[in-house]
Amino acid sequence: MKKAAEKIDRRKFLKIMAGTSAYAALGPVRPAGAQPYRFGKLADTTRCIGCKRCMSACKRWNKLKVERDELVSDRETHLSAQNWVVVNFRADTMNRTRRTYQHWACQHCIQPACAGACPVKAITKLPHGYVVVNEKKCIGCRYCYQSCPFKVPQFDFEKRVTRKCTLCFDRILINYSKPACVAACPAGALSFGYKHEMILEAKKRLYKVKSAKHILGLKEAGGTDMLTILTAKPEDLGLVVAPPKVVNQNLDKLRITAAGFMSASALAGMMYLYRTLTGNNSR
Amino acid sequence: MKRLIKENLDLLLNDMERFPGYYVWIGTLIALIVLGNYALLMSLIYSLEIFEFSIKIPWGTMVSNYVFLVGSSTGLCIVSSLGLVFGLKRYEPIAKRGYFMALITIIFGMASIMLHLGHPERSPIYSALTPNLRSAMWWMGIVYPPYIASLAVCFWLLARQGLAKTARESVGLQSKIYGLMALEGLKAYLYRILPLERLEAKTYRLLPLEKMGLALDSDGADLRWARIIGALALISGLLAYTVESTLFAHAEARPFWYGALIPVDFFLGAALCGLAWIMAAGIITYKVKGEVIPARLRDLFYEMAQILALLLSVELPFIAYKMGHGLFEPAKGKTIMLLLKGPFSPAFWVFEIAIGIVLPIFILLYAARQKKMTGVLVASVMVLIGYFVKRYVFVVASQVYPVITKGLPSYLPAFMEVLLIIGIFGGLLLAFTLGEEYLPLKDEDKPVTL
Ligand code: SF4
Ligand code: SF4
Ligand code: SF4
Repeated sequence: MKKAAEKIDRRKFLKIMAGTSAYAALGPVRPAGAQPYRFGKLADTTRCIGCKRCMSACKRWNKLKVERDELVSDRETHLSAQNWVVVNFRADTMNRTRRTYQHWACQHCIQPACAGACPVKAITKLPHGYVVVNEKKCIGCRYCYQSCPFKVPQFDFEKRVTRKCTLCFDRILINYSKPACVAACPAGALSFGYKHEMILEAKKRLYKVKSAKHILGLKEAGGTDMLTILTAKPEDLGLVVAPPKVVNQNLDKLRITAAGFMSASALAGMMYLYRTLTGNNSR
Repeated sequence: MKRLIKENLDLLLNDMERFPGYYVWIGTLIALIVLGNYALLMSLIYSLEIFEFSIKIPWGTMVSNYVFLVGSSTGLCIVSSLGLVFGLKRYEPIAKRGYFMALITIIFGMASIMLHLGHPERSPIYSALTPNLRSAMWWMGIVYPPYIASLAVCFWLLARQGLAKTARESVGLQSKIYGLMALEGLKAYLYRILPLERLEAKTYRLLPLEKMGLALDSDGADLRWARIIGALALISGLLAYTVESTLFAHAEARPFWYGALIPVDFFLGAALCGLAWIMAAGIITYKVKGEVIPARLRDLFYEMAQILALLLSVELPFIAYKMGHGLFEPAKGKTIMLLLKGPFSPAFWVFEIAIGIVLPIFILLYAARQKKMTGVLVASVMVLIGYFVKRYVFVVASQVYPVITKGLPSYLPAFMEVLLIIGIFGGLLLAFTLGEEYLPLKDEDKPVTL
């Protein structure tokens, strides 16, 4: 033991240090699923019975307003400032006999586009994975809604701020209990735990359960911390389909800004050209 | 005091009798502003929701109107700099009106977006405390204040001599107010305490103003500084408008907004609007006042009409390319079909293409050839209307997919939203009218006197 410790000479030590600092600077290079201490939520639409208990539990915990008819089982529900999670009956367009209930809320993207768009940094991705809106900071511009690939954050007209699912960070951090929706689910369709465990669980179910066909959230929008087991591709189920690329790409933003600068300079150049061509004495 | 009020009231009443049209016009504009304020009050009493025709389309007319007015401001700044910064003498007569209009359009544009925010009062605070450098919206808040400031200073410098002249020619309170606006004493003081002469020479070389044929010694001090600030206004304006376009172009989740073509589209549109505004405003002012447009200005307007026609004929293939290209991308294709065949087709074909582009090209070419000022005016107004509708379609149609799958019964703006926009335009026109009336915006028919 002692020998091994002595073997780490100066050079090696420096190497290790350099490696760690490079790791710290570049950020995690491992796939998101392998990150420790990252939580994830798993919704299994093959198990959901459409009771909408998650919806009412969410409303109770977050003190949201209840509109009664929304909790009726077969009513179509929409995300809103008072509805952070919805459950809707959806048929697979490829095979209309295959129908399931879809539990749908903020996907808690690994690289949230909403946080990249918010001008005042009111949206943050907390280290454990929750993407949370700070309602005291939000200026109500709704740019996050426009840039969210899943069209989740909703504007609250009373508070004049944007609100959305917080993955119940307040429950987990303070009470160390599961999100309200997960705790309320009577059918075991929702589960919550470490992200890598959730991925394993989802893959296991995909392998075991015949009707499970797709895990939403592994690739969509660069990966999300909420996973959903679907019975078909999201586009066939009529869900909001995220663009294939990562939406919060800084490089892509730079590319487009550069295009903007180029058009601005082209315009200035054209004005100069116009000036030189026509001069002062025409007509 | 009582006597003073009575005298002034008499003066006003006499004036009203002599020019009833003017007062009817002002009255109408004030009524429009009252309507806008009524809508604003209702939104504060009830909820911001009265400005939305669908909660799934949170950006409506207020945002599109903002984009329209900001584009107009950039365009006006561009056209006005042709004379002031690029040294094209024939463009100098329009510079003052141009900068004034650029200033008021951007101010009312900003009002339009500020009223749309849920908490406008928080925006400066948290933009300063927790800036998000990745957000185009944050950059917008940073780049616009310098632009607005330089526009204001530039206009003031151009108008200063005129203001001083009015101060000298008038008496009493009026003279005092104009004198205050001209700040006569400040100039000499500033020149005494600051090394401004050296700064001038340096800036002239740095911003390539001397290359543009603008010699330092041929301009008066006001004009020298107006050129310098004008150049800064142009640079900051182009910068700000780039940011403005990337606000939309960055939104990858909105396919119709996303992409590197959007900035090109925005700048082309700004140039169109700038030309159209300056011609429309200039011609209308002369017509209403019943004055004859000076020959130099006439020639300039015909030349600008031709440039506008040229730009419009560039815009047409550009739109065709943008649409055709987008049709092959599945994400964009659906939105484009909304424009080509769907609920937005009247707006697209009639307003954007016919009224906004095709008809004006013919009218402008005809009017420029036949020397018909009315033709130029009509075409300019048509271009502006077409462009306003174009921006509305651009903002609203992009938000339909993916959340609204079955379509909405109507995509027209909500009633209260319309009232508010009417109020904003009322304010804009009132500011313009008062400016024409009380500020020295008039184009003088002399070469270098601005
Ligand atoms: S789903 Fe939308 S709101 Fe949720 S984290 Fe991702 S981008 Fe943000
Ligand atoms: S609405 Fe609020 S949370 Fe969303 S981008 Fe604007 S300031 Fe940020
Ligand atoms: S995680 Fe919490 S906030 Fe999110 S849907 Fe479930 S209960 Fe609501």
